[in-house]
Amino acid sequence: MLLEVRDLHVEFRTRDGVAHAVNGVSYEVDAGQTLAVLGESGSGKSVTAQAVMGILDTPPGRITGGRILFQGQDLLTIREEERRRIRGAGMAMIFQDALSALNPVLSVGDQLGEMFVVHRGMSKRDARARAVELMDRVRIPAAAQRVRDYPHQFSGGMRQRIMIAMALALEPALVIADEPTTALDVTVQAQVMDLLAELRREYRMGLILITHDLGVVADVADRIAVMYAGKIVESAPVHDIYKAPAHPYTRGLLDSIPRLDQKGRELYAIKGLPPNLTHIPPGCSFHPRCPMARDVCRTDVPPLYEAGEARGSACHFWRECLHDH
Amino acid sequence: MGRYVVRRLLQMIPVFIGATLLIFLMVNVMGDPIAGLCGERACDPATTAQLEKEFGLDKPLWQQYLTYMGNVFTGDFGTAFNGQQVTELMATAFPVTIRLTIVAVLFEIVIGVTLGVVTGMRRGRPVDTSVLLATLVVISVPTFVTGLLLQLLLGVQWKWIKPSVSPDAALGELIVPGLVLASVSLAYVTRLTRTSIAENKRSDYVRTAVAKGLPRHRVVTRHLLRNSLIPVITFIGTDIGALMGGAIVTERIFNIHGVGYQLYQGILRHNTQTVVGFVTVLVLVFLVANLLVDLLYAVLDPRIRYA
Repeated sequence: MLLEVRDLHVEFRTRDGVAHAVNGVSYEVDAGQTLAVLGESGSGKSVTAQAVMGILDTPPGRITGGRILFQGQDLLTIREEERRRIRGAGMAMIFQDALSALNPVLSVGDQLGEMFVVHRGMSKRDARARAVELMDRVRIPAAAQRVRDYPHQFSGGMRQRIMIAMALALEPALVIADEPTTALDVTVQAQVMDLLAELRREYRMGLILITHDLGVVADVADRIAVMYAGKIVESAPVHDIYKAPAHPYTRGLLDSIPRLDQKGRELYAIKGLPPNLTHIPPGCSFHPRCPMARDVCRTDVPPLYEAGEARGSACHFWRECLHDH
Repeated sequence: MGRYVVRRLLQMIPVFIGATLLIFLMVNVMGDPIAGLCGERACDPATTAQLEKEFGLDKPLWQQYLTYMGNVFTGDFGTAFNGQQVTELMATAFPVTIRLTIVAVLFEIVIGVTLGVVTGMRRGRPVDTSVLLATLVVISVPTFVTGLLLQLLLGVQWKWIKPSVSPDAALGELIVPGLVLASVSLAYVTRLTRTSIAENKRSDYVRTAVAKGLPRHRVVTRHLLRNSLIPVITFIGTDIGALMGGAIVTERIFNIHGVGYQLYQGILRHNTQTVVGFVTVLVLVFLVANLLVDLLYAVLDPRIRYA
C-alpha cells in the first residue's frame, strides 16, 4: 500500500476551546489509484491532507493520535529531516489558489528549478532547463520564454498548470491535490482536471483529490471518501456511490447537484449548518441535520459499518438509506 | 523604466526650488546675519552698512535669492562665518556624516533585521516579548539621553571609547555614535521586520515552500525574508536622508564635525549661506534616496512596474 492513514486525530487550540478537526480518519491509497475526499469546508479534508504532507501549522494544530504510513514508513515517528526529503520528492501537493501559493517575487523558472536544485543537487542552469521541460509538459505555450516570467504574469489556468508541474517535478509516488480547480474559471477547470488525470496515469502516481465538487470526481476517481465533522462517513468505489449512497449525508450531497432533468424544480439543500468543531454533537455528528435521524443517533456513535464490498458507511441505518434510493 | 526615472528627476526641480526658497526665507526671518559677525558687541553702523553692501544684503529679498541661486548653479555656495567657502565646509563635513550614516544604516540592517526575524518567527515567546519591550524603551527615550548616557558610561566611566571623536572621524570611532544615531530607527526596523515576517510566515507561498521539501533556512531566507523585507527596505531608504540631516544631536554629543555640527554653527551665527547650502544638499540627498528606494522596490517586487 502506498499510503495508509490510520485513526488520525488532529485538534486545534483556539481561543474558543479545542477544535476537533480530524477525529479518527482512516483511508488508504494504492499506487496508481485516485481517492477523492469529499466534504464541506471544515469537514477536515484539508487538515488530514496537511497532516499527511507534514505542513500542518503546529501550533495551533496538533496531531493527537494515529499513524500515517507512507510506503510502509510511519511518517509521524521519523525525524523531521527525513520527512523533509520525502516532501516534494516522495509526495507532493497541489494547492487551491496558485496565485497565492506561488511566491510572487520569484520567477516560475526559479520556483520550478528549485525542486531539482534542492532535492537533486542540480546546477541552476540544468534546473532551469528542466523547468522549461516541465512547463512544456503541462502545455504552457512558449515555455522557453515564459520561464523567466513571474506568477502574476500568467492566467489562472496557466498558473495552476505551473503548480501541477511543480508538484510532478520529481515524479512523486503520491500527489495530493487540494481543490485544484476551485479557483479557476469553469471553462478552464475541465482542461486542468484532464491534464492532471493524464499525467497521473502516465507517471502511475497515487492521487488524493480533495474537493467539495461531486461533478469533478465522477470521471477521475476510483474511490470516494466522504468526510463530515472530521470523520469519514462513507467510503466506497466511485460508481457504487453514484448508484446508491449508503449515508444520508452523501445522499444530500448528490441531491444538491443541479440536474438538467429536474429543471425548474427547487434545488435540494441539506438543512442546517456544519457543526462547530469545538462542540461536535454527541452520537452521530450528522444527526441534527439528518432527515432519517432517530433516538439512537443522538446517543450512539455509529461505527463504519461494512456496507457491501469494499464499502463502508457510518450510519446506523445504512441499509435503509441504500434501499431507499 | 528610463522614462520613469527622467520624469522623477524632472519632478525634483520644482521640489528643489521650493525647498531652497523656503529655507532661504526662514533663515532670513531668523535674525540679522551681520549681528553675529562682531561677536558679543553690536557692530557699529558704518561697518554694518559696509558689510550689508558687501554681502548684497541691502538688496530686496527676491534679488538676494536669485543671486544666490545663480551662484549655486556655478558651484558657489557662498562663504561661511569664518570666511571659509561653504563648499569647502561641505567637502570636510559630508564625508564624516556619510561615514556616520553608513555605520548607522549597517546597525539598522544587521541588528534591526536580525532581531525582527528572530522575534517574528517566535511571536509571543519570551524573546519576542523582551525585544519588543526593549524597542519600546529605545523609541521612547530621546536620543540625547541615550547618547549622553552611553558617552558617560562607555567613554568616561569605563573608558572603552574616546568620549569625543577626533577631527578625522575614522570608522572605528563612529561605532558608538552610529549606534546612538541608529537607535530609534533600529527599533522601528525591528518592529517592522517582526510584523512583516509574522504576517508572511502564514502565507500560502511559504506553506508551498515547506511542502516542496525545502530546508528550513532556504524557506526563511529565499521565500519568507525576500517578501518580508520589501517594506523594511523602503523604510531604511527613506531613513538615510533623515539620518544625515538628523545627526545634529548625535554630532553635538560626540563632537563630530559633520553636517549636523556645521548646520548648528551656521544657525547659531545666523549664517544664511551655510544653512541654506547644507540644507539644499540634504534635500537633494533625500530626493535621490527616495528615487533609489522606488527603483529598488521594482527590483524586489516584480509586480511593480514603472512606465
